[in-house]
Amino acid sequence: MTVSTLQNTLPEKISIKNLKFFYGDNLALKSINLPLYEKKVTAFIGPSGCGKSTLLRVLNRMYDLYPKQRAEGEVLFDGGNILAPGQDLNLLRARIGMVFQKPTPFPMSIYDNIAFGVRLYENLSRSEMDERVEAALTRGALWNEVKDKLSSSGLSLSGGQQQRLCIARSIAVRPEVVLFDEPCSALDPISTSKIEELIDELTADYTIAIVTHNMQQAARVSDYTAFMYLGELIEFDETSKIFTAPGDKRTQDYITGRFG
Amino acid sequence: MADAVMAGVQGAEIGNQKLGRLARMRMADRTFHGITFAAAVAVLLLLGGVIFSLVWGSVPAFSTFGLGFLTTQRWNPVTEIFGALAPIYGTVVTSIIALLIAVPVGIGIAIFLTELCPPWLKRPIGVCIELLAGIPSIIYGIWGLFVFAPFFQATVQPFLIWVFGPIPILSDIFAGPPYGIGVLTAGIILAIMVLPFITSITRDVFDTVPPVLKEATYGLGCTTGEVVTKVVLPYSRVGVIGGIMLGLGRALGETMAVTFVIGNTHKISASILAPGTTISASIANEFTEATGELYTSSLIALGLILFVITFFVLAGARLLLARMNVKAGN
Repeated sequence: MTVSTLQNTLPEKISIKNLKFFYGDNLALKSINLPLYEKKVTAFIGPSGCGKSTLLRVLNRMYDLYPKQRAEGEVLFDGGNILAPGQDLNLLRARIGMVFQKPTPFPMSIYDNIAFGVRLYENLSRSEMDERVEAALTRGALWNEVKDKLSSSGLSLSGGQQQRLCIARSIAVRPEVVLFDEPCSALDPISTSKIEELIDELTADYTIAIVTHNMQQAARVSDYTAFMYLGELIEFDETSKIFTAPGDKRTQDYITGRFG
Repeated sequence: MADAVMAGVQGAEIGNQKLGRLARMRMADRTFHGITFAAAVAVLLLLGGVIFSLVWGSVPAFSTFGLGFLTTQRWNPVTEIFGALAPIYGTVVTSIIALLIAVPVGIGIAIFLTELCPPWLKRPIGVCIELLAGIPSIIYGIWGLFVFAPFFQATVQPFLIWVFGPIPILSDIFAGPPYGIGVLTAGIILAIMVLPFITSITRDVFDTVPPVLKEATYGLGCTTGEVVTKVVLPYSRVGVIGGIMLGLGRALGETMAVTFVIGNTHKISASILAPGTTISASIANEFTEATGELYTSSLIALGLILFVITFFVLAGARLLLARMNVKAGN
């Protein structure tokens, strides 16, 4: 990795230290070291198969659902190692939310989609829940479009609306970190720009990591960018720096479209 | 110029060849269409023929007994008075018992297999379930009669009578003596028989739940139990209910195993430990003895009733699913 020039005193919400990841015997991530700064957006870019989605899935230990996948090293989240065996996964995932490539509304009403996650951890009265749902949907820039049909199915919304519903659902449980795994790759440009605006607004309260194939998107929404290639972290720096004066030849080739 | 003419002639020839081939293809297309259409119509005709012959055959019974056939418990071949109430009751009750046992167990197995099971155990359990489905019903019958019923008579039935004896309504439902065979025994054997259907269909529909949807649920911090009850089951409920209905269809019509263990008595008892009969068991037991026209017709009428019950079960299931879909908003 090119040594970053940035002298940073920002607090690190998540610190990835010497992380290795295996699919069976296959080494997919080779010694990743990377900070995610608090209340900043960090973009992971790189060609397909470079391990950026894998890295994201380590952060909330989603890989645990699948046997034969394992991680080595340390991922410190507020100082605690989330890879430690005793880690409570349910709590971890409530604190680190995730939004997926394809919208994943649950087969229930719009209201229940939001209330579902909240009910897992909190016993709210009906009116408190109503407020929470409204707040989350407002935050998700969806409230005005759905306020009159909260009881209809989440599946009845358009793709872009569904994705915003999923974002609202993630933030309704008040996580500290939100992971976005190519959140716009299945959406049209208008929905994409809405979600980018949304991500921008969310940085006021949340630490965000986003995987994207769209370099303009990375440039638009992120504060920091990590370029990955073949399971290695090639370069990590401020986004403006990566896109104007990258330190590594491979980064430059990738962002100028010479490969990938 | 000559070349151009030649080329034109060749072009026309190729064109003709193409036309010929096209015509042949169209012909084959039409033949194919006709064959498939005939196959589809054959199914309709077959079903129509079965319904017609059932209705035709049961005319004497219904014209003699009227609708009283459905509400009479008596079944006396000597005096030629026949009523279908006891077999209908037995059919319904044994099927309900079967589902009460098989649905929770089957769904439980399916949940374990899809969500919790360590990979090395998945195959053996899956194979066992497939094997269970492959056992011919006559084997369940003899096993039920010679092995299960005596065991049941010696252990479980006395226990049930003892436990529920002091409780008012339940004491009637579990009233003795322990015969071994009876309605409950038939229900349990049926439960074992429909279990593989419910399990394998439920497992298959659970597998159709997109992994990313499950990940999203886990991503909110849900436990496996919450993922299953809140997302996997609602998402796949149509298929699960379909599997249950298929199991119910099998339970309603199952003949051989039930005939062995139900006791074949045309009598309705409050106790589910008492012997009874089902529609298919009655038919199987008595078709050889049915000499008179009225007797035969009464058995055919029983068959018609079973057909109608099965039809309504399926129609009811469709209706239920349609309503649930409207409720869920899709």
